[in-house]
Amino acid sequence: MVLLQLLCNGIVTGCALGMVALSFSLIYATTRIFHVAHAGIYSLGGYLVWSLATRGVPLPLAVPLGVAACAAAGALIQNQLYRRLERRRATHLVVLIASLGLLAMIQNLLAAIYKPDVLQFSETWGNGVVSVKGIILTRTQLLTVVAGVAVYGLVMAFAHRTTLGRRVRAVASNAFLAEITRLEPSAVYVQVVAIASAIVALPGVLVGLDLGLQPYNGITILLTATIAMIAGGVGSMSGAFVLSIAIAVLQNLSLLVMPGEWSIGVTFFIFVVFMLVRPRGLFAR
Amino acid sequence: MNFLYSYLVLAEIYALTSLSTNLLVGIVGIFSVSQAAVFGVGAYIVAALTMGDLADFVPALLVAALACIALNVLVALPSLRVAGDYFVVTSFGIQLLATAVFTNWTDATGGANGLPGIPPPVIFGQPVSSTRDFLLLASAALALGCLCFWLLMRAPFGRLLRAIREDELAVAAAGKRVLRAKVGAAAVAGAFAGVGGGLYAAFLSFIDPSPFDLDASVLLVTMVVVGGARTLAGSIVGPFLLLGLPQALNFLAIPTTVAGAARQFLYGALLVAFMLFRPQGLVGQRL
Repeated sequence: MVLLQLLCNGIVTGCALGMVALSFSLIYATTRIFHVAHAGIYSLGGYLVWSLATRGVPLPLAVPLGVAACAAAGALIQNQLYRRLERRRATHLVVLIASLGLLAMIQNLLAAIYKPDVLQFSETWGNGVVSVKGIILTRTQLLTVVAGVAVYGLVMAFAHRTTLGRRVRAVASNAFLAEITRLEPSAVYVQVVAIASAIVALPGVLVGLDLGLQPYNGITILLTATIAMIAGGVGSMSGAFVLSIAIAVLQNLSLLVMPGEWSIGVTFFIFVVFMLVRPRGLFAR
Repeated sequence: MNFLYSYLVLAEIYALTSLSTNLLVGIVGIFSVSQAAVFGVGAYIVAALTMGDLADFVPALLVAALACIALNVLVALPSLRVAGDYFVVTSFGIQLLATAVFTNWTDATGGANGLPGIPPPVIFGQPVSSTRDFLLLASAALALGCLCFWLLMRAPFGRLLRAIREDELAVAAAGKRVLRAKVGAAAVAGAFAGVGGGLYAAFLSFIDPSPFDLDASVLLVTMVVVGGARTLAGSIVGPFLLLGLPQALNFLAIPTTVAGAARQFLYGALLVAFMLFRPQGLVGQRL
């Protein structure tokens, strides 16, 4: 019974993680930027929605507003920071350091405006419990699973069935060819980062509703998501999503044998195993 | 006067550790945010050995340096073997894992409460207890570190490392072993950070996990970036400037509850601004 409960908790965490991994993978596969500041956007989404909710805006309205704000923030970052750096022919290392700096700015701005400790939503609808055969999940947790699966489906449909999605894949596979066939990679990059930032706001809010908000916890989640992306194979969206769930389930099952503080160790161990055995990932192209 | 001395000692210790970050990030061009973790491992090892009367200060420092070399080599080997951003993930992972160990392995590290009462170092039978004496010790250590760094950069090994930064493929094509050189650089970086950590523990006589977390790693990268990557002078200018900064911030009326966040926000802003407008830092070379 405990096993089944942990399995379900793992799937819930995995769906939230999967959304982070999908969005990061979208950016990384297209722009080749290791966008560390994505962790900051994750936290930003949660805090923005919290602010709106405490001012009396109902959640069904607050969440889309927060998502839109995150999309705008992402577009701004790509347009004002990464594109400028690219124009100056900055190396990969320089872009990475700038992204790290941006992450520090976002996280600490949130910590200064709000407070560094855990912040809870006052909304109680999501705390309602749904219980099936002894397995207990809250409404928020069920919503996370629904959102995760929906986002995965939408991203796959977007990538394969829409014009913009095909353009993104074209730019991702060869930016130079895309440039000379007038697909305008720099415009596509802005759109991709905006879309990915919108996606990452969702788990930011859902995890915040479930466990509360913290300004500094985004980086652990982003790190786990990047490990899922690498283990799944860079460029494979399905790989990133499936491995996110697998890693989250393993993390939860590890609670049977060791306390929760060490779950980062479990994640890292999985990463080391993949690096040694199959560095290109499971579903590498 | 004592206040000035302790500022100088800390700046010198951070300069020694910045040399380690500079070697990886500046010279070889490997992004690393786990330097504070290595620094912390050095600090906790020296603390444990000298507090338990298992070793004197100098042998303890040597053990710490060796352990940090081993740690860096173990971390670098699997991730540098494969190309791409694997080392980025590894260094974030090591940093978060180290913070988890420092905070949760309460028996050895004292957990979040930290380890108080680390004895002052004893050099040639003389205890170094006053801040002034410690300034001499730290200066000697920094001078030795700078000498090693300078000699290393003049040596063929230093040229090889800089060549890797410029064009890894060309170096490999010339028959040099790129992986071995990178792991070698990581080992030397480990030694610098380990010694720096040991001095830090002995100087403050109290350590807890906070100076060894991700924020501290960001600070170390900021020091190198602001001072200037790839040069010896940069690694010294950066720490002296950035450690003075919190004192300058005290003159602004920032409430104490947000002072830490404000300081860390400033480091992030400095990183972004320098990358955009002056990637070579104050006295460095192009990153």
